[in-house]
Amino acid sequence: MDLHILDHRLRVISISKSGLVHFTHPLIKLIFLRNRTRCKFFSLTETPENYTVVLDEEGFKELQPSEHLKVESSIWLPLNVVSNGNASSSSQAVGVTKIAKSVIAPLAQQHVSVFMLSTYQTDFILVREKDLSVVVGTLEEEFNIYEEVGGESVPMLCQDVANALQKNAKEGRGAPPPLSVSTTTRPTVHPVLIPQNQFCVMSLDPDTLPSIATTLIDVLFYSNGPKEDAQSSPSRDLDCIKFFSFSLIDGYISLVMDTEAQRQFPADLLFTSSSGELWRMVRIGGQPLGFDECGIVAQISQPLADSDISAYYISTFSFDHALVPEEDIVRVTDMLQNQRKEPAAS
Amino acid sequence: IMSGSKPDILWSPHHPDRYVICDSELGLYRIGPTGGSETKAGALPLSEETAATLLAINSDTPYMKCVAWYPKHEPECLLAVGQANGRVVLTSLGQSHNTACKELVGKEFVPKHARQCNTLAWNPVDSNLLAAGLDKHRADFSVLIWDISSKFSPEASVASEKIRLSSVDLDSSTVVTKPLYELGQNDACLSLCWLLRDPKLLLAGMHRNLAIFDLRNTSQKTFVNTKAVQGVTVDPHVHDRVASFFEGQVAIWDLRKFEKPVLTLTEQPKPLTKVAWCPTRNGLLATLTRDSNIIRLYDMQHTPTPIGDETEPTIIERSVQPCESQIGSFAWHPSSQNRMVVVSAANRVMTDFTVFERISLAWSSTTSLMWACGRHLYDCSEDGAEGAIEKDIATKMRQRAQSRYGHDTVQVWRNHLLAGGKDSQLKSSHMKQCAEDMELKLQGNKQAVVYSGIKNIVKTSSGTTESRRCWSGSDRQSDVPRYHSEERCLALRLCGWISRGPDIDVEIFLRSLEHEREWERAAAVALFNLDIRRAIQILNKGATADKGDLNLNVVAMALSGYTDEKSSLWREMCSSLRLQLKNPYLCVMFAFLTSETGAYDGVLFESSVAVRDRVAFACMFLSDAQLPRYIDKLTNEMKEAGNLEGILLTGLTKDGVDLMESYVDRTGDVQTASFCMLKGSPGDVLKDPRVQCWIENYRNLLDAWRFWHKRAEFDIHRGKLDPSSKPLAQVFVSCNFCGKSISYSCSAMPHQGRGFSQYGVSGSPTKSKVTSCPGCRKPLPRCALCLMNMGTPVSNCPVTGKSEEKVDLTRENKLAQFNNWFTWCHNCRHGGHAGHMLSWFRDHTECPVSACTCKCMQLDTTGNLVPSDSS
Repeated sequence: MDLHILDHRLRVISISKSGLVHFTHPLIKLIFLRNRTRCKFFSLTETPENYTVVLDEEGFKELQPSEHLKVESSIWLPLNVVSNGNASSSSQAVGVTKIAKSVIAPLAQQHVSVFMLSTYQTDFILVREKDLSVVVGTLEEEFNIYEEVGGESVPMLCQDVANALQKNAKEGRGAPPPLSVSTTTRPTVHPVLIPQNQFCVMSLDPDTLPSIATTLIDVLFYSNGPKEDAQSSPSRDLDCIKFFSFSLIDGYISLVMDTEAQRQFPADLLFTSSSGELWRMVRIGGQPLGFDECGIVAQISQPLADSDISAYYISTFSFDHALVPEEDIVRVTDMLQNQRKEPAAS
Repeated sequence: IMSGSKPDILWSPHHPDRYVICDSELGLYRIGPTGGSETKAGALPLSEETAATLLAINSDTPYMKCVAWYPKHEPECLLAVGQANGRVVLTSLGQSHNTACKELVGKEFVPKHARQCNTLAWNPVDSNLLAAGLDKHRADFSVLIWDISSKFSPEASVASEKIRLSSVDLDSSTVVTKPLYELGQNDACLSLCWLLRDPKLLLAGMHRNLAIFDLRNTSQKTFVNTKAVQGVTVDPHVHDRVASFFEGQVAIWDLRKFEKPVLTLTEQPKPLTKVAWCPTRNGLLATLTRDSNIIRLYDMQHTPTPIGDETEPTIIERSVQPCESQIGSFAWHPSSQNRMVVVSAANRVMTDFTVFERISLAWSSTTSLMWACGRHLYDCSEDGAEGAIEKDIATKMRQRAQSRYGHDTVQVWRNHLLAGGKDSQLKSSHMKQCAEDMELKLQGNKQAVVYSGIKNIVKTSSGTTESRRCWSGSDRQSDVPRYHSEERCLALRLCGWISRGPDIDVEIFLRSLEHEREWERAAAVALFNLDIRRAIQILNKGATADKGDLNLNVVAMALSGYTDEKSSLWREMCSSLRLQLKNPYLCVMFAFLTSETGAYDGVLFESSVAVRDRVAFACMFLSDAQLPRYIDKLTNEMKEAGNLEGILLTGLTKDGVDLMESYVDRTGDVQTASFCMLKGSPGDVLKDPRVQCWIENYRNLLDAWRFWHKRAEFDIHRGKLDPSSKPLAQVFVSCNFCGKSISYSCSAMPHQGRGFSQYGVSGSPTKSKVTSCPGCRKPLPRCALCLMNMGTPVSNCPVTGKSEEKVDLTRENKLAQFNNWFTWCHNCRHGGHAGHMLSWFRDHTECPVSACTCKCMQLDTTGNLVPSDSS
């Protein structure tokens, strides 16, 4: 398996709901006018709390500082796992489940905070630039690590790895504790929320983006209006949450939305898997999670991997969101409930 | 719908007059001649000669991303369309009554995860196989090979039941969801092509790598990391040559050496959109960039394949502009030479365009001219322009070389006769060489060995005496002063007026002129020697001679009326009327007679009079003050004009080289320049880079004409005059046993060795018996035919060669022959006497050594050439 450190330097930002109006111009430019910006990595996710924007430094320049803008101070680097086709695993599962054991668990063990971004095309694992040496040191046994430089994949030099290990040893103060130990001292278990809406993960030919522009603008920026009406139906408000994610990364578009939003788009333009699967969401966190705690993704992905259940995972500024197949939601719910009992039992 | 779909063109694989344009829909066109009977009102002109008619439109398949035309003859107009959602749909244009076609049209091939279909490729042999290249989707495969004949699978119907989010209703009877092969997991595929060298191999431009998939073993792939993954395409003429591109850069790959591109073409400022090999022309690649109205062509015809690391590939790059507007796409015509149809980026404006072939032109080493264009070769010859060709210096030099011009080193003066004897300049330059000869004999070693010219001779003039002689045959004292000195006398000799030896009488020269019927000149020379009676006598002789000019009598009469009376009517009339005389010598005679003493410009600057005659005149009648000035002036004039007659003045000095330079600049005659300057002093003149350049060029010319014998003779001649020009021995023969050079070790000579003279190949017969290595005494190799050791002279009957016969054959004339040389093949190392080898290979192709199958003679490229000079 190969691990690619992609050639993007990313910032994670939140825009408050009320402040969105100040950023519509740069956001529309970043979404629709690909040729007018040098931004190569852009993701916008609307949650009930705020808008989370993940974008590279070129894109970041477009956003003016403002009181409505919260910027996480670190530079994040996206990692991408590439299995070389001859994947030995018999698992049919997709998404973070595939990398739960090989990437997410070891990083959690090394106290590396990760920010996940699943798209229609792939899963990006964002790590802080300052943690890169530890990441490389941790993963170099399992993976061939490549650094993408100017569009070419360059194998990481041995010396880099050696330095990384040295650094890791220093920072980790001796050998890291084995996995079994760490599970017993697992940090706080966050509360989860499982809303009722069904989600789909879709894509779009970038050439047809202009033809859905009005719908997209409507869904992204004017969703609060009609939602006021929706709030009059309290049952829906309780059971469903607003979640819409758009990303345009290296020319590929990915959309995550619930079926209600999906119905607003022309039927033949968005595409997804031929099986047309639907997803349910597990939102992790009662209080905003922050960026420093590690092991949150591992907490969810580990048991899913044990049960071989596919999952997508989208981190936002405040909370994390896992998407699991609709047909597996009961199993997932049970599993999460058991997990909550376990620490109490031990 | 605002769709950025850029147009593309596809030619029908089987109908050379049909093509499809695809943008937002598919349009089938037929191309035909303008004004033909088929031309309808709706025909669109594509060029001055051709027009296109729209036959059919198909707009059933929206969101087209790529189109590929079914490669087989039937069904004839079946197209595969790749869509933005990754589905591949079979469709057709126009009506087809073919049942196979009806079954196939409408069939859809749906990938598990929808994403853009980037490329399609039909297998050229197994036409049921259609490869589709898709964008990346997680761990899914991006290269799907569909079998278009496969029936829908039952699982597909099960799957369709599960679909709750179906965007398009899947009609399960026409939908295929199971590909025959799935390749390129976890990757994106941007371009595809089947390899022509094996239809089981598929070349794919993946995300940052080019991969070759083998359908016989799909778990393995050959790949190379590169950014150039767009538009992979195989050269139809060289099946191992592939082009691909990335942004503005095209990479050319050799599949046998797949680690890196064998070459990359110069980067273009805008991203490329299409790259296509010309199907009708070897090694011609056309490329198109975005927002451009030109197509750039790269001619790799002369690029050696495979291209080694060392060789600098030669690519000829040029651009063509088929139309004014920006080009959307182009397609080469499948069979019509260098022809393409171009479609504009907007409004579907089409142009039929033929790329004009480069014309290459070549002169042969003789005078013929060939030019080639496309598949045509033209031999250019001038009609009835014999004269023009004869005037051409290359032809002249070749003819002169053939008639051994310059090769008479004993009687140098004869060379101008060898050159054809018509050129007065050549004559005078060889006169000079003749004179030089004489000078050397006169002067012994007192002066410089090399002729330094009259200019230098008169400079050193001293002890000049002045005399006033009587007119011969008259007792009247002449008032014309004449000057004498040893140097002036030598100059007169060099001018040919007086012969060698102590005799200074001009009479011998006059007689020779009379003999050559140069009456006027003879008369002038006689007159300048103050013998007016002799002059009249000569003119008279000229008038009465066979075919003589009677007018000479009139001139003689005019001459006889000479008077030195300053104000006579005779003087007055002669000085004005003389200008009407056509013959320059007659003219200068009267100029001399009517001139004031010491003011002879009428004679000295009469350019039609031979330089040597004017110089001789000057030496007789100009004072020590006037003479060097006149000679200097004349020398400069000659140098400027490149007139070889001036060599008389400059000699073979630096001045002479300057003069020769302007002569060569004017005529290109390096032949005369080479022969002439060889006689110059090795120190200055021969070392002059100009001289070396003429000599080398002349040698190259002789080589080009295959006048190898002439060149050898020239080199020998040159070696005698300039020993430093002899090349050092470069090849030595070493003994098989001790490894020492057999020519070097036995002779006391240094490297500039005697070569094979000791081995019976040349030179003296007494040393011809060395048949063993002088170093280790081991025998030298044997001739494969006569089995004699090297060093033994060739025998006519090699099998029964007896010692007596051998003695008989060691005569010098035999030994000097090339037949005795020892030669061998550099490949199989067998060999023998050159004569034996030559006669063997006259009837055989293989090496004479039994069991050796080496085709020695065919390996020797120069051995099969024949010299074209027969000496």
